[in-house]
Amino acid sequence: MLSCRALRKDYVTERGPVAAVAGVDLDVAAGRYAAIIGRSGSGKSSLMAMIGGLSRPSAGQVLVEGTDIWSLSDNALSAFRNRRIGYVFQFASLLPTLRLIDNVALPGMLGRTGATKPLYARAAALLGQMGLGDHLDAYPGEVSAGEQRRAVIARALINEPALILADEPTSDLDEQTEIEIMDELLAVNCERGTTLILVTHNLALAEQAEQIVHIAHGTIVA
Amino acid sequence: MRLLASLALQNLGRRKARSLLLIAAVAVASGVVFTGATLMRSIDRSMAVGFTRLGADMMVVPEGALTNITAALLTVEPTDLVLDQDLFARAAITSVNRAAPQKIARVEHSGIGSHHDSVDLIGFEPALDFTVQPWLVEKLNRDLRPGDVILGAGRTAPLGSELLIFGKAHTVYGRLGKTGVGTHERGVFMSFATLEALAGSVHGPNGPPAALQQGKVSGFLVELAPGATPLQARFAILSTVKGVRVVTGDSTMSGIRQGLAALLDGILALMVLMFASTALMVSVLFSAIVTERRGELGLLKAVGARRGQIVGMMVIEAMIATGAGGALGVVLGILVMRLYERSLVYYLETIGVPFVWLDGPHMVAVAMLAVVMASIIGALGSLYPAWRASRRDPYDLVRGEG
Ligand SMILES: Nc1ncnc2c1ncn2[C@@H]1O[C@H](COP(=O)(O)OP(=O)(O)OP(=O)(O)O)[C@@H](O)[C@H]1O
Ligand SMILES: [Mg+2]
Repeated sequence: MLSCRALRKDYVTERGPVAAVAGVDLDVAAGRYAAIIGRSGSGKSSLMAMIGGLSRPSAGQVLVEGTDIWSLSDNALSAFRNRRIGYVFQFASLLPTLRLIDNVALPGMLGRTGATKPLYARAAALLGQMGLGDHLDAYPGEVSAGEQRRAVIARALINEPALILADEPTSDLDEQTEIEIMDELLAVNCERGTTLILVTHNLALAEQAEQIVHIAHGTIVA
Repeated sequence: MRLLASLALQNLGRRKARSLLLIAAVAVASGVVFTGATLMRSIDRSMAVGFTRLGADMMVVPEGALTNITAALLTVEPTDLVLDQDLFARAAITSVNRAAPQKIARVEHSGIGSHHDSVDLIGFEPALDFTVQPWLVEKLNRDLRPGDVILGAGRTAPLGSELLIFGKAHTVYGRLGKTGVGTHERGVFMSFATLEALAGSVHGPNGPPAALQQGKVSGFLVELAPGATPLQARFAILSTVKGVRVVTGDSTMSGIRQGLAALLDGILALMVLMFASTALMVSVLFSAIVTERRGELGLLKAVGARRGQIVGMMVIEAMIATGAGGALGVVLGILVMRLYERSLVYYLETIGVPFVWLDGPHMVAVAMLAVVMASIIGALGSLYPAWRASRRDPYDLVRGEG
């Protein structure tokens, strides 16, 4: 499903180059739930962004379902992200000018011409599943942080991706909300067989995973 | 893509004050360009009319005659003094291509118009004339005959109708186009023979005006021979014929043409500058807008928007704003021109420009051009910053650094 080969990310800063990810080899089988743990600054987000096709690696390969995603053209990569990968960011990531339902439907609208009715029906169903059935027409600024995060998960699911990448989706939320949101993600992993890679600081959450990847200073230590 | 267009619209609505400022700035620029272009095209047309219709480079009048030298040389001025009609025929001056004699008599109680209106009766020699007949916009379907009159643009009477002048019946043969020259627009034109036939009926304070005598004229409208300079012609005329004054120099069309050309160049330069500075301003503004919205652009890209869609959204946003500004500018331009139309036309006439407004369809074309240009400014100004942002990795955009 996913395999990373000799993956590197070097940032150029005023104080010289920073090796955020320094040669990572990683394989995750289809349908798995993998957790990535590591201290702040260890390179987890940088790794996730390269896997998700959001940040070009300095070196190495990322194969998702056998596709070497960084060898694709920019447009092909956009289309690939759109269809195969659902990304849940570490921070608020809804478009503030769109209602929740439009935000969720957005990836479905991009790159596709077709009837919007079934798409919006699907978006409404997903939001309902996330407990946001009453907030379809609300704007992101009108709902809580936890509700926003749920909407982001709904957005990540709209195109039925093969891979969900969640970068600390719950770190800024209270414990109860964290559990609810994790339940949603795990349900998707179990019921739909969607591969899930989760970055977390919460060891209890990580322990439920079938595969635990421990990162320190940009490399896998366990 | 409807979604991106509506996103662009929403983004404009989110920063109302800034969008309005942008629209206002573009409106000012497009208003200036539209007004400038309309005036330029109008003046251009007036000049084109001038080139094809007004041949007079100089006017030769009796020495003591007072002439209003600010008007374009279409008609001679009313005066009591006269010259011999065959003056130029006898002199044979090589720097003069043609010299059209005219008679003019300003009369009252003629029966034309209301009782006390004075009317200029203007006689021309159809075979030599080049300032009256070229202006005919409507005429009867036959040649000009004795007893026919041609009306200036300012007079209304149906073609073919009867017009009594001092009790004598005349036929309205034709009507002239608008020239912007008062004497020309209000004049009643006829051949020498027709005018001379009125001599017995016109009662001035000192008998019939001198210009009505056979063989006498009020002056000549002179067209230079190709290559001849006004100065050469002036000397040639003054040294050959006695008792005349030559009106030339800046007051003639040649001077006006040069003045207008400079004016048009100035307007053109102003328009180019305006266009450039607006494009720069829009570009700077959109660099800032793109920077501010990096996160959103990154998000759009992250969920699958292609580069073209990202650029398209920003460009559409800019084009909506600048296009609206352009349209507003056109409206303002029209208002300003309407407001100042009178003084403007009057002013141009006093400097000798027979002003003819651009007609409706052309005005619409210029207006559309102004709106399109404004949209193009928006497109150009936003294209580069949007294109640069679209090249970045979505993750960098979302994180919002650099
Ligand atoms: N754009 C950047 N420019 C320069 N350095 C960067 C950039 N992004 C990340 N870094 C550095 O790379 C290293 C890894 O960052 P990254 O965000 O991947 O860590 P992380 O494990 O996700 O941390 P956290 O748990 O706090 O989210 C850090 O030292 C960070 O300072
Ligand atoms: Mg991180």
